[in-house]
Amino acid sequence: MPFEHHKDALIEAAASGVEPEGELRAHLEACDSCRAAFAEEQALFASIDAGLHARANAEVPVSLLPRVRARLDEEGAPRNSWITSGFVLATAAVVIVAFFAARAIRHINVGSERVETARKTYVPPVVPPPQNQNALVEPRVDKNSNSARQFNSAKNSAAAELPVRASTESEVLVPRDQEILLAVYAEQWNLHKRAPLLAQNSDATILAQLQIAPIQIDELGVKLLAEEK
Amino acid sequence: MQEMVLIQTGGMARGESVGDAAEADVRREFEARLAECGPLAYRVARGVLRNTADAEDVAQEALLRAYRHFDRLRDRNRFRGWLVRIAFRLALDRLRSRKRSEVRDTLWSQPEHRPPAATAEDLAASNEFQTHLDRAFEELPEKLRLVLLLAAMEGHTIEEIAGMIGISTGTVKSRIFYARKQLAEKLRCHSNTIKTR
Repeated sequence: MPFEHHKDALIEAAASGVEPEGELRAHLEACDSCRAAFAEEQALFASIDAGLHARANAEVPVSLLPRVRARLDEEGAPRNSWITSGFVLATAAVVIVAFFAARAIRHINVGSERVETARKTYVPPVVPPPQNQNALVEPRVDKNSNSARQFNSAKNSAAAELPVRASTESEVLVPRDQEILLAVYAEQWNLHKRAPLLAQNSDATILAQLQIAPIQIDELGVKLLAEEK
Repeated sequence: MQEMVLIQTGGMARGESVGDAAEADVRREFEARLAECGPLAYRVARGVLRNTADAEDVAQEALLRAYRHFDRLRDRNRFRGWLVRIAFRLALDRLRSRKRSEVRDTLWSQPEHRPPAATAEDLAASNEFQTHLDRAFEELPEKLRLVLLLAAMEGHTIEEIAGMIGISTGTVKSRIFYARKQLAEKLRCHSNTIKTR
């Protein structure tokens, strides 16, 4: 029988280092060429083992351990890894907190700058007075005056700018019959006039509606706590 | 009523701090393992590098690293396997950097590649088969190389290797089998060399 038929079995037997058994053993006893091939494989593996043995069992230099001991003396005590790792973690935590704090401060500064800018450019939104019977008369302001022009321009620009401002400026809900007065008041405030001056020049009927009745507060009855038994 | 008692230890009384005593214990414990495992680290490095000086450097570095991180090793019985892995990894790194520097030197300074100067030990072991075996060994996958190296060392049983690396004995056996088979496939073409041995 040719060698090729038993090649793999012979190689595996030689690689595992065990003697072939059963049919393979019987064949080796009968076939000279396979027996020679098997012996060659065994010799190959024996050479590999010898080479590996020589490679893996080199003589250890006598200087190795004294050198290591000298280095250990220089090294000192081993560092506690948990202290090192704890220090690293603490440092990392401080860096992260500082980063977020700086970011938050920056965010606040940017926000306050935006509010300041919005205050400088703020024009109060004004709704034109209604045309029906319940509508109030227009404020008595000189149409040629600067404040009247601002009032008109505010009416025109308020609708366009309102969506943008809505995100940054607070809005005040005002009764419908007081909106004109409030718009004029805001306009005068922008011109650095004081509120009492504006109030003196305003219509008495409108001012009467702005008056607020004093709050009625009942007297509080104070009762002594019952003594603990 | 609880009674309070003031206790002063003898070590503290002699001026020796608890930390110093613990460090001395660690050093003593490591020293005990050094004599046993130092040669093992060297042989692993030597098996990978095939160079005495490099292997000694690597073994020394591996032992120092093991000492520095000795407190991380909770199960001290696994020290041998731990040290073997450190030494093997460092030796592979050294081998790679050596190859890179050899290639660089060849490219920049020499038209032909010249092998490093052979020591007396290298000369004694030099023959054609050994050269081919070394080359074939270096081409093996790392996990096969380590197991084969440990198996070739004197005094290591399959069970010890399995315990050192942390794999089953069956895995150790199969790795040895496949490693030897791969070496044989690469060296079969040099059968004439074998016959002359």
